[in-house]
Amino acid sequence: MYSLIPHIVNGLTLGLLFALIALGFTLIVGVMEVINLAHGAFFALGAYFALATIGGSWFAGTEFGIWWSSLSPGARYASGLIFGPLCAAGAGMILELCLRPTYGKAPLYGLLLTFGAALVIEELIRLVWGTGEQSLSVPQAINGAFLMGGLIFSKYKFYAAAFSILAIFLVWLFLEKTPYGAIIKAGSHDSEMVRALGFDLGKLRLAVFAFGAALAGLAGVIMAPIWGLRPHIGIDVVIPAFLIIVVGGVGSFWGAVAAAMLVGLAVGITGAYAAAWSMLSMYILLILVVGFRARGLFGRKSALEN
Amino acid sequence: MISLSDIPARGGSPFTPPMFVFLLALATAPFWLEAVGLYSYLGIEITIWILYAMGFNLLFGYAGLHSFGHGAYLGVGAYAFGLFQNHVGVSLWGGLLAAVLAATIAGAAVALFVAHRRGIYFALLTIAFGQVFWFCAIKLRWLTGGEDGLLGIPRPDLVIGPLRVSLQENTSLHWFSAAILGLAMLGLWRLVNAPFGRVLQAIRQNEMRARFAGYDVWRIKWLVFTLSASVAGLAGGLFAMAQESAYPDVMSLHQSGLIVMMILVGGGLVSFWGPVLGVLVYFIARDIIGGITETWLLWFGLMFVVMVMVRPEGAAGLAHVVRARFARAPVKTPVSAPAERSA
Amino acid sequence: MPLFEARNIQKRFGARVVLEDVSLSVEQGAVHGIMGPNGAGKTTCFNVLTGHYAPDGGTIRFAGRDIAGMKPHRIARLGVSRSFQIMNLFDDTVVIENVMLALPEFRAMTFSPSRNVFIDRALTDAALEILAQVDLAEKAWDKAASLSYGQRRALEIAVALAARPKIVFLDEPTSGLGAEATRALAQLVRRLRESYTIVMIEHDMRFLFELADRISVIHWGQVIAEDTPTELMANKWVARSALGELA
Repeated sequence: MYSLIPHIVNGLTLGLLFALIALGFTLIVGVMEVINLAHGAFFALGAYFALATIGGSWFAGTEFGIWWSSLSPGARYASGLIFGPLCAAGAGMILELCLRPTYGKAPLYGLLLTFGAALVIEELIRLVWGTGEQSLSVPQAINGAFLMGGLIFSKYKFYAAAFSILAIFLVWLFLEKTPYGAIIKAGSHDSEMVRALGFDLGKLRLAVFAFGAALAGLAGVIMAPIWGLRPHIGIDVVIPAFLIIVVGGVGSFWGAVAAAMLVGLAVGITGAYAAAWSMLSMYILLILVVGFRARGLFGRKSALEN
Repeated sequence: MISLSDIPARGGSPFTPPMFVFLLALATAPFWLEAVGLYSYLGIEITIWILYAMGFNLLFGYAGLHSFGHGAYLGVGAYAFGLFQNHVGVSLWGGLLAAVLAATIAGAAVALFVAHRRGIYFALLTIAFGQVFWFCAIKLRWLTGGEDGLLGIPRPDLVIGPLRVSLQENTSLHWFSAAILGLAMLGLWRLVNAPFGRVLQAIRQNEMRARFAGYDVWRIKWLVFTLSASVAGLAGGLFAMAQESAYPDVMSLHQSGLIVMMILVGGGLVSFWGPVLGVLVYFIARDIIGGITETWLLWFGLMFVVMVMVRPEGAAGLAHVVRARFARAPVKTPVSAPAERSA
Repeated sequence: MPLFEARNIQKRFGARVVLEDVSLSVEQGAVHGIMGPNGAGKTTCFNVLTGHYAPDGGTIRFAGRDIAGMKPHRIARLGVSRSFQIMNLFDDTVVIENVMLALPEFRAMTFSPSRNVFIDRALTDAALEILAQVDLAEKAWDKAASLSYGQRRALEIAVALAARPKIVFLDEPTSGLGAEATRALAQLVRRLRESYTIVMIEHDMRFLFELADRISVIHWGQVIAEDTPTELMANKWVARSALGELA
């Protein structure tokens, strides 16, 4: 039993990171009723832009570049952590503008357009950063391992988990305690009402897309040191996000978080017994939940079913 | 606005001029492909993907069930074909039968879970199930050979009675695939013009009304999903032969998305011939743009994004619009003579 | 024995009780009206009676069979047909196909791949005959989406009739119609009652009182009164509680 602890910790960490990816996704699905297949691409963009920021290779040789590389790794990492998600948010806004002609048509078109966008972004990443695997370095302070109770834990994973909890908490605060959150939640039930309340639906959609993309980008920056960076990482992460949304119930905040934790735990614990199959537990969980509770754990009836 | 549901010009006839032109082009392809700067293998590839796309469009375009995980059944067919050759015996018909059967069973099982759904939720579930198959293909190493897949799948001889034809040559395999595609096309054409095809479209247009008109919507959705998985399995069997291997990549979300892209680009939502056009456009773009730049998918993707934004009916839709512009005012059909309309 | 009989129907959505206790009995050949204020549960009642929702309690008998909780397509096949308050047509296709799809003989050949659709004279003639009943034969080969509002309403009814039902449920057939179209519809219902048993929800009091043999008044998910139009007019309590709100 004792030997299971690292796996449980691992699973919980993974779950928190999954939750971070899934939150942006579920926000966009909930408000826009668009399944954003480019969500993974935003994840990748965030991580790659953070990589570029931390490395500073784009302005190597210039005076700014020299000054930049003289900065401490911590400062550069922190700016990557901000700049990466910002770039993802920018890309998200561009995509939302492209999506506008599809509103009011069959939901299929949004899905198709974001699939095309994911393809384009992935190819752009190949073009700019090459096809090889890259790694994102983190400052010494959060690197390495530590011992606790005779077990070895990775410092970075703890940092990542703590960061995710903070981010999830902030998103929750934002949704629950601010007027913007109230509008977003209203939008996720009823866009008529948003309009009736006198808010600009166009701006709301733009903001939600930017926010969702930024969350994906943030998850990318946090996740990259653990998973590594490759151009098709977007597709790799969008799948767990999908499953989590389906398991948790489309458009539900706590559904996404709970499902993410469940999936993380399932993956972590299976990892202890059959490492190669650890990801499969995610799919089995999905089939179980969908088989018995068609709308997911916390799902309500949604317009997406039509 | 045009749609698949427009009254077919030749709804009753089993064989139509476009079909003749298409099959003629397909049959003669080995003679002229190289002359126009392409290669003979491309013909096989296009034939197989058209078969796959046409079966898929029964589900996607006609029934309006937007599956994003259909590559799974192509993959299952390919693996089943390979496994049959490796473990049961080298046989063309046996392999193809195994491919169709395996894909049918896989499709029927998944359809049990997804047949009561519609719209984006349906798409989400098909993605999830597609991933399950893809993942299993990678992880069941003892069965599927993991990431590398099954290698060295033979191309068994075609045996019909006393006749034995080797399919080692690309040309002979091309003709064999073309013959299968021709048969499948005749079958699908009949199906979509028979009451079943109209009922599928009724379900696409208004599931609730179809239900209150007495149709067992669940069963029909289950059936069409299974049927289109069977066709994908057949295409998968041929694909395993063409590639002489089976690998997980065809089952990935990426590939399943590409087939959707082809259908949409070609105009599968508005025309029976949409999938054919879409597959042609895709492969020709791949070879022509791909010959110029490494990043051809970038350009293809951009083209696709712009297309979804401005003309989502796709290429076949464009053809309709052009034709409508050149045609004079639409001919009013006398009510008393509906039969003339389809002459 | 009544052709269609519902007893003590209950329907809840979560904690909200929409139908508390609805009983309804329709004789063969009758026109039965249902009225009541908005939100009284009329449409929910139709949805339960035709199988869209399963009732949480009560029995529904049609032609001697218990149909409560049956799937809509099973109920439809028994000869129960309905129109919808919100237009519910096959909009991508032509008028005649809307009707053809609902014909039982067409449904029977769903799985016959050798059959044809638009060149099958028997089918098109049957569909045209139905369309003629609602004066839409002229428009048979037009797109359903291109029809005017009143014509679409008529097509709604034609689709319901195409099923060759024993009983037809009409959900607010006059909704959105002008005075003249309403008169034409009244004519149509008068013709239809010769051959069908009809249950209809209706807001238009004059329309309903003119056509119905019996009327049930639904309020708060219960039948608060059921009688002939004449008796109902005389009933002061009903007049105040339900009619008063509507007139």
